[in-house]
Amino acid sequence: MLTHHAVEPVSPGRVVILGGRGFVGKKLAEHLAGECVPVRSIGRDAIDLAAHGSEEKLLEELQPNDAVVILAALTPDKGRGVPAFLANLKMGSCVHAALERRRVAHVVYVSSDAVYPFRTALIDEASYAEPTDLYGAMHLAREIMFRQATEMPVAILRPTLIYGAGDTHNSYGPNRLRRMARKDRRIVLFGAGEETRDHIYIDDAVALIALVIRHRSSGMLNLATGHSVSFAALGEMVAREFPTPIEITGTPRQNAITHRAFDVTAIHRAFPKFVFTPLDKGLARAHREEMA
Amino acid sequence: MSGLPRVGYVGLTHLGVCSAIAAASKGFETIGFAPDPAAVAGLEAGRLPVVEPGLEQLLSAHRARVSFTSEPSRLASCDLIYVAPDVPTDDRGNSDLSPLTELLDLTFAHARPAATIVILSQVPPGFTRARQRPGIRLFYQVETLIFGRAVERATRPERFIVGCDDPTRPLPEAFARFLQAFGCPVLPMRFESAELTKIAINCCLVASVATANTLAEICEKTGADWSEIVPALRLDARIGPYAYIAPGLGIAGGNLERDLETVAQLGEALGTDVRVVRAWQRNSRYRREWLLRAVHEHVLATRNDPKLVMLGLAYKENTHSTKNSPALALLDALKPFAVTVYDPVVAPRSEWHPRLSRAVDVLTACEGGDALIISTPWLQFKQLRPSDIAARLRGRVVIDPFACLDRAKCAAAGLSHVTLGLGAHGLVIRGKPHVDASRC
Repeated sequence: MLTHHAVEPVSPGRVVILGGRGFVGKKLAEHLAGECVPVRSIGRDAIDLAAHGSEEKLLEELQPNDAVVILAALTPDKGRGVPAFLANLKMGSCVHAALERRRVAHVVYVSSDAVYPFRTALIDEASYAEPTDLYGAMHLAREIMFRQATEMPVAILRPTLIYGAGDTHNSYGPNRLRRMARKDRRIVLFGAGEETRDHIYIDDAVALIALVIRHRSSGMLNLATGHSVSFAALGEMVAREFPTPIEITGTPRQNAITHRAFDVTAIHRAFPKFVFTPLDKGLARAHREEMA
Repeated sequence: MSGLPRVGYVGLTHLGVCSAIAAASKGFETIGFAPDPAAVAGLEAGRLPVVEPGLEQLLSAHRARVSFTSEPSRLASCDLIYVAPDVPTDDRGNSDLSPLTELLDLTFAHARPAATIVILSQVPPGFTRARQRPGIRLFYQVETLIFGRAVERATRPERFIVGCDDPTRPLPEAFARFLQAFGCPVLPMRFESAELTKIAINCCLVASVATANTLAEICEKTGADWSEIVPALRLDARIGPYAYIAPGLGIAGGNLERDLETVAQLGEALGTDVRVVRAWQRNSRYRREWLLRAVHEHVLATRNDPKLVMLGLAYKENTHSTKNSPALALLDALKPFAVTVYDPVVAPRSEWHPRLSRAVDVLTACEGGDALIISTPWLQFKQLRPSDIAARLRGRVVIDPFACLDRAKCAAAGLSHVTLGLGAHGLVIRGKPHVDASRC
């Protein structure tokens, strides 16, 4: 659950986005710029947070009125092993050390639902974090790092699968299914696509992060829609966006079927007026933008 | 003892007031004591601090035998003294036992040596034995008050469960004579067993409620109708006709929450497996948010800045209590939106919601509303005609968790009826299925 330190939304002095060149970072910067919020977007090209001496470079960037959004991470498509795990911890350690030395107005850490185990199907903010891989373990460790920055409000956000045009990752979800359909006229599912997952549209994820910034919220929030669909149903929805038929096929199942659903009551309570983009509408928008 | 014992009640909140009046109704001269003179003056003037069906009439009928006082020395005239304040709890169900302890000490100081003192409030195992003193005849008795049915429970109890230092010894004469007047079994047992019996009763009830809520939600997503399943369960002797299997909005009122937290903390301290109790608590919190999820899914997802109508603020019908009320939890989450409320007993407070208005009656509340939420199943809401609601409501959505309204009549009136245990798009069946119970 979140606690709003600004009950009525206020414009932050400035938002510093670490990981500003990534899928979410770029969209967040665009969204905030559209609301006339000053943004300093920092990508790896400007500061490599895993490199020696990066703490000093980051310190030079930070100002007391900043809201710092931490998105920088090596995502699983860039490595799932120990080197990526250690590099991610190094990045987290660098940011944490800089924040220890320079207090800012607000810290928003964008974690992942990878901190949750798959044996619990319905997830809320009180669910136990028990990651099953190094990526989830890394996020959980970084969450603990940033929560220890007790001098300033810290929000931990755990997004589910984010989809939308411009996603550079190719994880199993709407974007990969659309790319398969575009390239091969065929969508190939794991097994028969029985697993259910919650997919949040990038614009919604970014709007929620912006609300957290504007309310200077602290605490924990899952970024999810509360509606899960099977990959089989998702494949059909993605295929419907194409003008000609797309073949949907399964593959022999390699892993046990797992499901994930979210109870998003905490979002309803934190932001009563927030309305999610329905999955079919979000998929249609993403399709139009990506195919344009 | 020649005549009937005189009975004292210390602590005039819900439990104490209802119990004192019930004792008077059985022919006992009864003294109700509270340290607050204002509360006592109100009772002396016939103003009851609680809403309970039949309580006013019961007091009127037996007024001559019951008196209220803030003077503790009057307790010295009692043969039997119940110490019965409501034990307050916080939002997590943790008890604050200090008011009970203070009243107990005051009772010890003013009771005469031969008097029997009985703790009637809800206490954790070990509480009563820890307060035994030389020369004091102390007992514990399980209270089974149900909000909204307190008169029935206090005047016609199923049984008395009495915690004793030594259950093999007969009860003191005054205590035994008083209990016999109710004509029900008396079960003496050691203190700790009695204290845990109360918790055991409530755990069994919560287990049933949690089961019903869990399966009702599955019904909502599969096309099944929980209301069709319930009669089958009630005809099963192992479950029974009075089982708590109606789906609801989580546990509220304070008492069940208290017992769950008490037994969970006790088990954790003792190293026993109480994870199922934590699961019940979690299920209750999840279920309490059903209204909020329904409002977002059926109203807020499609309508900007709707005007909402809410019928009911009390946590259940026939009570003034709003402790852990799902209606208040919902109001707290709907602060940006205008809400018109009506409750037959509870007056809305401005601190609950910044855009709250109170309607003078049920149908006036519905005028121009974009959606109707029936959050407490008061009888008068069950008597509403969906066509009357439809004529006044601007929107078509009725969120009615307890199915106060008939689904088929709602459909006929053009209303979309959302209820517990049945999905919004579930089949509308007109009339009742034919059931031959004799062949079940």
